Amino acid sequence: MSDKKLILVVDDDPDLVESLSMKLESENFRVAKAYDGMEGWDEIKKERPALIILDVMMPRKDGYTLCNEIKNSEEYKGIVVVLLTAVADAINSTNYTHMGGKTTLADDFVPKPIDLDKLMEIVKDNLQ
Amino acid sequence: MNDGVLTSTDFLPQILVVDDEERIREGCQMVLSELNYKVDTAADGAQGLRMIKMRHYDIILLDLMMPMISGFDVLTKVRDLHPDTVVIVITGYATIEHSIEAMKKGAFDFIPKPFDPEQLRAVVAKAIKYTRALQDIADSRSRLRMVVNCLTDGVMITDDHKRIVLANHAFQHMIGHHGDSLIGHNICKCIADETLSQMIDQALSVPIETSLEITKELILNGADERILSSRCSPFRGRTGVNLGTITVLHDITALKKIDQMKSDFVSMVSHEIRSPMNSLLMQIKIILDGLAGDITDKQHEILERASGKILNLIDLVSELLDLARIESGLITNEKETIAMQELLAEQVTFHRAGAQGKNIEISLETNVDLPSILANRQGMDEVFTNLITNAIKYSPEGSTINVSTGVENGYLNVIIRDTGYGIPSEDLNRIFTRFYRVKDKQTREIHGTGLGLAIVKSIVEAHHGNIKVESEIGRGTAFTVILPLPELGNTDSME
Repeated sequence: MSDKKLILVVDDDPDLVESLSMKLESENFRVAKAYDGMEGWDEIKKERPALIILDVMMPRKDGYTLCNEIKNSEEYKGIVVVLLTAVADAINSTNYTHMGGKTTLADDFVPKPIDLDKLMEIVKDNLQ
Repeated sequence: MNDGVLTSTDFLPQILVVDDEERIREGCQMVLSELNYKVDTAADGAQGLRMIKMRHYDIILLDLMMPMISGFDVLTKVRDLHPDTVVIVITGYATIEHSIEAMKKGAFDFIPKPFDPEQLRAVVAKAIKYTRALQDIADSRSRLRMVVNCLTDGVMITDDHKRIVLANHAFQHMIGHHGDSLIGHNICKCIADETLSQMIDQALSVPIETSLEITKELILNGADERILSSRCSPFRGRTGVNLGTITVLHDITALKKIDQMKSDFVSMVSHEIRSPMNSLLMQIKIILDGLAGDITDKQHEILERASGKILNLIDLVSELLDLARIESGLITNEKETIAMQELLAEQVTFHRAGAQGKNIEISLETNVDLPSILANRQGMDEVFTNLITNAIKYSPEGSTINVSTGVENGYLNVIIRDTGYGIPSEDLNRIFTRFYRVKDKQTREIHGTGLGLAIVKSIVEAHHGNIKVESEIGRGTAFTVILPLPELGNTDSME
């Protein structure tokens, strides 16, 4: 049991968190859940996850802020962060500036609507 | 200057004769009254001055040699009191010196004594012509000033040294200026924002043979933020020399605020609709993957179709959002220099993978010295992605798509030509209409929102370009995107 890696899912939509969790558990991961950026930090401190799947638009603290806080923290910057973003579906060309020039320190991102199979690939690739 | 109904031909000049010789006074009065002019007389300089102070005369016939107050003193006084009064001096003994001195002091002409009625009529006629011209200029100036001051748009004219020659009330109000006249001041000293000054520099540096209007948005942060659309053009004299610039400001603050509210609303609604659809898709996927228990093949098929519909709805919302953003004009606010051949090469490479699935070949024919254009990159990507995706969607297996470029009359042309199904001629002028989709036997199964081409057209038009389509059933379709190349004088976009 203990060698199962922990993945934290942070999204303000409980249904989406639930579906993602079911998929991740079926792929042999353990899942922690949080519904906004503040709760996200609480979960990270409770048990350090190997990877975080993080929504961008959330109440209280958005995904960009949380992501940058994690990546600027000495202790937690090693955690892999995958952003879920609705913006990326506008990206076609390779040199598009993400979020109109807003830089993000995330390791990877998955465009919405989420292709679950692709997300699983990204999760596994980033955990190798 | 016969630009009005009331011209100064209707005007009868007021004439004053100042001479100490009664014979001259009466002679002048008689000759000029015959011509219907109103003539007053004064017997000496003092009386003349009193009359001049009381009313305005258009023409004064003035004897130079008079007792007590000389004609020269009267002349000087007249120039002070009524600079536009025309003075003709009468010189008793026609010495050139006196005449010249009088002309130096501002006399219009002179008439030597003795003179005959014909001479008098001629010199007065000449003076009247001059007076009328002056009057016409004064009238049209005051008319122009009135028109300019009544405008609700701000109007400001500078000379070629950027000094303000004219600034109407609306302009002063828009830039938040109150108090002293702006006339004669350099524009840089009157307005802190440098945009306007830069526009004027740019307008002044436009080569003589080209005409250009520079358009920019000005954001002034006063007590309330104002957003002004400003247009600046050089204006030239008869010989083509730059005389200065004219700038027109139009307040678009309210328009911008409405736009912002509209776009905030659209993105809020769009997010609120997209998010639940995203999680709906995910829930269906969990069931499809069997994570919520076994499902039958039929259930699987139904859920697959449901997913397809939801995906289409998500696309529709995204495109509606795009359209709203384009129409609000936001997309053309951020322009950059774009090397079109590079952008097209990226596009073709990106879409090649999708095309290969249908065994469709995409080729690109472009010139490396293709001039760059000034455009919004995201907008251009959207235009060509839509057109190439359409070409792939509406072509049967094994077709070819060719993207080519050209330059014509200051415009850049990009042609996307396919060998697909073609568009019926009756549909050709409707394909750019929102939600319009050509549906027939071959295309019924093709998914789409009917917004792609409407978006393409909006983006192209927002860039002051144009899009044309030619098509033949069974042979294929060619879309031509026509985009303006940067104009001469627009230095920040030159290579």
